[in-house]
Order: sequence, then structure tokens, then C-alpha cells
Amino acid sequence: MSSSSDDDDRIPFSRRPEWSDVRPVPQDDGPHPVVPIAYRDDFRETMDYFRAVYLADERSSRALYLTTEAIEMNPGNYTVWHFRRLVLEALNVDLHEERDFIDQIAMRNPKNYQIWHHRRWIAEKLGPEAADKELEFTKRVLAYDAKNYHAWSHRQWVLQSLGGWEKELDYCQKLLEDDIFNNSAWNQTFDFGLSYNQEYSKVRYFVITRSPLLGGLQAMRDSELSYTIEAILANPQNESPWRYLQGLYKGDTDVLVSENQVSEVCLKVLKIDHSCIFALSLLLDLLCYGFQPSDELKGVIEALRKSEPASSDDKLASTICSILEIVDPMRSNYWAWRRSNLPSKAC
Amino acid sequence: MDPEGLEFQRERHVLFLEMMMERLPSDYETQEINHLTLAYFAISGLDILGALDRVDKDQIASWVLSFQAHPRTKSDLDNGQFYGFHGSRSSQFTIIDSEVSTHNCSHLASTYCALAILNMIGYNLSNLNSEAILISMQKLQQPDGSFMPIHFGAETDLRFVYCAAAICFMLNNWTGMDKEKAKEYIVRCQSYDGGFGLAPGLESHGGATYCAVAALQLMGFINADVSSKPAKSMVIDVPLLVEWSLQRQAVNGGFQGRANKPSDTCYAFWVGGVLKILGFYHFLNKGALHRFLLSCQSKNMLPDLYHCYYSFAALSLLEEEGLKPLCVELGITAINGHVWTTDVVIGPIRSSEAVHEKS
Repeated sequence: MSSSSDDDDRIPFSRRPEWSDVRPVPQDDGPHPVVPIAYRDDFRETMDYFRAVYLADERSSRALYLTTEAIEMNPGNYTVWHFRRLVLEALNVDLHEERDFIDQIAMRNPKNYQIWHHRRWIAEKLGPEAADKELEFTKRVLAYDAKNYHAWSHRQWVLQSLGGWEKELDYCQKLLEDDIFNNSAWNQTFDFGLSYNQEYSKVRYFVITRSPLLGGLQAMRDSELSYTIEAILANPQNESPWRYLQGLYKGDTDVLVSENQVSEVCLKVLKIDHSCIFALSLLLDLLCYGFQPSDELKGVIEALRKSEPASSDDKLASTICSILEIVDPMRSNYWAWRRSNLPSKAC
Repeated sequence: MDPEGLEFQRERHVLFLEMMMERLPSDYETQEINHLTLAYFAISGLDILGALDRVDKDQIASWVLSFQAHPRTKSDLDNGQFYGFHGSRSSQFTIIDSEVSTHNCSHLASTYCALAILNMIGYNLSNLNSEAILISMQKLQQPDGSFMPIHFGAETDLRFVYCAAAICFMLNNWTGMDKEKAKEYIVRCQSYDGGFGLAPGLESHGGATYCAVAALQLMGFINADVSSKPAKSMVIDVPLLVEWSLQRQAVNGGFQGRANKPSDTCYAFWVGGVLKILGFYHFLNKGALHRFLLSCQSKNMLPDLYHCYYSFAALSLLEEEGLKPLCVELGITAINGHVWTTDVVIGPIRSSEAVHEKS
């Protein structure tokens, strides 16, 4: 089988003088391999030479070069990466150079676990001085694909292990302004919020002895709440800020219920968009937690019920479920189930 | 047949997998390191399609077993290496002694795939030296409860917690892991929106959520919870998780892995499987999902093994005619194995579904 057209000028290892002393170790798939792979010639040869240096444990610069070729063909091979790290350590290679190599290969394979793991290994070795470069690099990857899971994971690790939190909220804000549907950035904002809270509350804990945690959380919540409401109103069909809003009150439903702005944003949205399932489902949750609806809210919901007139004993929560059954056909069975399982305290 | 004229073309899929068993195209060489996983997709795919009679089971058994890493002596089990299965020949070097791996790169995911394949072809797992796998596996568990997949280090996340749990479950022996610690790690991965991220603090993701819920199910933390306890005493927030999962069904009927992302066939299994395990599968729109999956059936291009496999698995959840039922939390068919067809696992799932339907 011929090699791919990109590599037409590639010289096989067998014709390279610097490798003439190495006897390649061929792959032994056994007599009856299952799902055998139709390896290309250059792939097979490169791996045969890799096996030879790996078995000989040859930690040399030519071995490093060989791993570069093997990785370019085969970036998921964790054995090759592992050996490369052994060689890098043995040769005491400047890891800034290694990072440049990863910059290139990661941009071409932005969703490869092994490459990101290797990058983390380098950054860990370089320590806090690497933080800025790492944040810069993930920013570049996220500029191509703002939802790249590996890049966000790496970014969180950098922030937690090497630092650089200062500008993080600004960065997420910027990404959200560019693409308000970016759930990854919403998540990061949340994570930032939590870390910020923890730091903030830790400091307050030593300074002020009374309810430091609550004070910290509430301070964060207020500013986050207005930002989130703004995002919801800008685009009520976007699920992410709705989830984020509820997340701000996770485990603290009493506060959620008593925060007027939450039911108000639902009302505002429903006046413009009668079938917004996120607004309806949030209202439903509020009612299940014991929220007491205003007459205005009741009126708006009743007006949304288009079909049969309300029977007097119908709960508002039940009406919302009925509306959801119609406007959210993907989940109509679920809303029907919610309707028949309403808690007694729901209005 | 579907009203739109779409039909599941079982025979064509069997033919495709038989072709893949014969020879994988060159494009798969970049996945050579996961050779056992590729085999798992092809063999388990044939199993779901009810066509496992087309393969040579003895050949497969000896091929899979040839990837196992063996310690030389019992004391090797303390050397920090993991004695599981290698992913492929390029991570396995058995030159010096036919029984001893000189360069041990065995991997949790490959070990899961190896055990799953061995089971589906009817190999008796009690013939394996499971003690070597389980004892050496303990060293892979991290102080936070997560697992790294290989002894010399790699990313640690929910994928490998799942693999570890599935391995212990299939070997019917939990000495390989500290279940409580693993549970704590999983709980920390549940995000504010109810789904699970691959690691604590990460965005909710369909695949990660499957790993979390299936692992909890295998470890026995969900059986007891969903069926008999009130919501507040559960280890995870189930109502929020159910709503997040159902919300992943997009307008085209397919499932997305994350909010505001396009639908993809594999999430019909990952997220659908979560709902199935929790007993909420009957709440999704089955007709719409069925139409979506059939619309993704390849007509004249070779599909990839991964998406093909999870489409079959998803259609099995939908009880497509001619497909075998799954043991969802193990990701393979339910009727071949001898361990998990007992009431220990299957029973409570049914009863939890009954509870929801009743209430």
C-alpha cells in the first residue's frame, strides 16, 4: 500500500543512514488477529522502529525525533507519549521548546486527550511561570471552538494549580458576549464564582466571625443574578442562563423562592414569548418549592391556557404542566407525570 | 417501518460489521492503541444485532487473552504496575518471556473491553487470574476517589471510574476499588444543572453523565436509592439530573451531549441510558428519537464504528425489532453474561420503573 500523498517526499527509516544500526521490531499481530488494521507502509515502519528503540530503552535525541514522527501519525498512542517523556527527562530538554512542539500539534488535534495530558505534564514541571502561556494557549484554541471540552478542562486545571484567576471573569464575559449560547463559558463563570466565593469567604471567616459564608454567597449572587437576568432577557430561548440562574440557588430553595427578581423575569419573558419552556418550568419549580404567585402572574398563566376553561380546584402548577405538555412535545410525558405528582404545598 | 419510510436495515449493518471484522480501513491506524476497543465495537455490535454466530469465538478468546499482562510473581502486584489488558500490540512487548510483559502499559479501558468481549462470547471469566487485575488496580485509584487508567499516569476522570466499576462488577469482586471514595468523587462531578462533568467543576456532558450514573448503578448506590428512598436521601440530585437529561432531546428528536450543541447518535445511548437506569426512559419522545436515529443510517458512505455501535445500542433501548436487549450499565447485551442476568441488578431497575409508573 502506498503512503499518503502528503508524505510523498518522506524517506523511510530503512534508507536513513543514522538509523542503519537499528533492527526494526515488526508488529506481531499473531496468526489470527481480530479486526486487523490495514496499516499504511510508513505507519508500520515508523512503529517498527519505535518498538526497537523502546525495547532497547534508548533515551537519545534520535529517539526523541522518532517519537515526534510516531506521534504525528498516531497522536493517541500513550505508550509513545510516555516514552517521549522519559527521553525528555533523560536529555534534560528545555521544556519551553517542548511546549512549542505541543502548540503546533495541539492546534491540529485539539480533541486528543494524550496531547492535553502531555501539555499539563509540561506546565506542571514549569510551574506558576507557565500560567499565562497556558491561559493564552487555551484562549487560542477556544477562539476556534469556544466549546472545546479539553481546553476548558485544561484551563480550569491551570487556574486551580498555577493561578491566574484575576482576569477570568472578564474573559468569560467576553466569550458570552460573543456567543451567548456558549454553555461552556456559563459553566466556567459558575466555577469562577465558586472559587471566588471560597476565597472570599475564607478571608472573611478570619476577619468577621458572624455568617461569613452567607455574606460572601449573597454578595456574589446579587451581581450574578442581574447579569444572568440580562442574558435571559436578551435571548429567552437560550437554556444556559436559565440553568445557571437555578444553579446560583442550588441547595438553597428558600432563598430562590423569596427572590422576587426570579419570578419577575419569568413573567417578563412569558409576556413576550408565551411558550418559553424555560420560563414555564422555572415557575413550576418555584411553585413546587412553595412560591406564592401574585394575581398578575396567575392572570398571565391563565391567559396562556388556550383550550378548556380552568376548573376551580386546579392549581396554578397544574395549569403550567398542562401548558408545557402542549408547548414542549418532546417532553409531554414528563410534564404530565409532573402534573400528577405535584407536592401538596404547590399552589 | 417508520411513517416516513425509514427502516432499520439490520442485514446491511451485519454485513458492515463483518467487513470490519475482516479488515479495518487504514484510517483506523491512528486508533491502533485502542485495538481492543475497536474489536469491542465490532463484536458487541454483532451481538446486539443478534449475529454473534458469524464470528469464531475461540479465535477471539485467544486473541483477547493474548493482551493480558501477567505478573511474574505475586510480589509483583505491589510494584505499582497495573496487570490488566494492553490496548494493542504497540503497547505490549512480550519478547523476553511469553508470559511476562516487560513493558507493562495495560489500561483500564482496554481491560473493560477485554472482559466485556470475553463475556459476550461466553468465556468463563473465573478462568482468569482476576486477583492480579483487582489487586494491582487498587493502585490506580487516586486519593480523591478517581482513577487513572494506566500506572505511569494519564488524565484521571469519570471514564476510568466507570471502567473500574464495570471491571469489578464483571469479575464479581470489589476488592479492586474503594467504592465509597469513588462514590464521593462521582457526587462531586454533578454540576449545578444536574448533569455530570468528566471531573469536578467541568461542564455537564452526556458521556460523563452516563459514566457517573452507570458506575453508581454497578456499585449498588442507585438501586437502593431510586426505588425505595425519598429524593432528599439520594446520593445525587436525581430530579435535577432527570430534567437535564430529558432536556437534551433536541427539536430534531436526537440527543445532544451538552446544552446548545447539535444532536449526535451516540448521545441517544449515553443520555438515553441514564434515563433507562434511573427508570425515566418512558418520558422521552421515543418516536422522534427513532426517526432521528434512522435518518442517520448511512446510505453509501462507510460509517465509523463508534457511532454505529452506539446507534445500535440506542435502538436496542428503543426495543427495535431484532435487536437484543442491553444491560445498560455495562454497555453490552443482557443475556449472554451469567453474573448480571440475576435479580441483583436487573430486578431493582424494573421495580424502580414500576414505582414511577404507579406514582
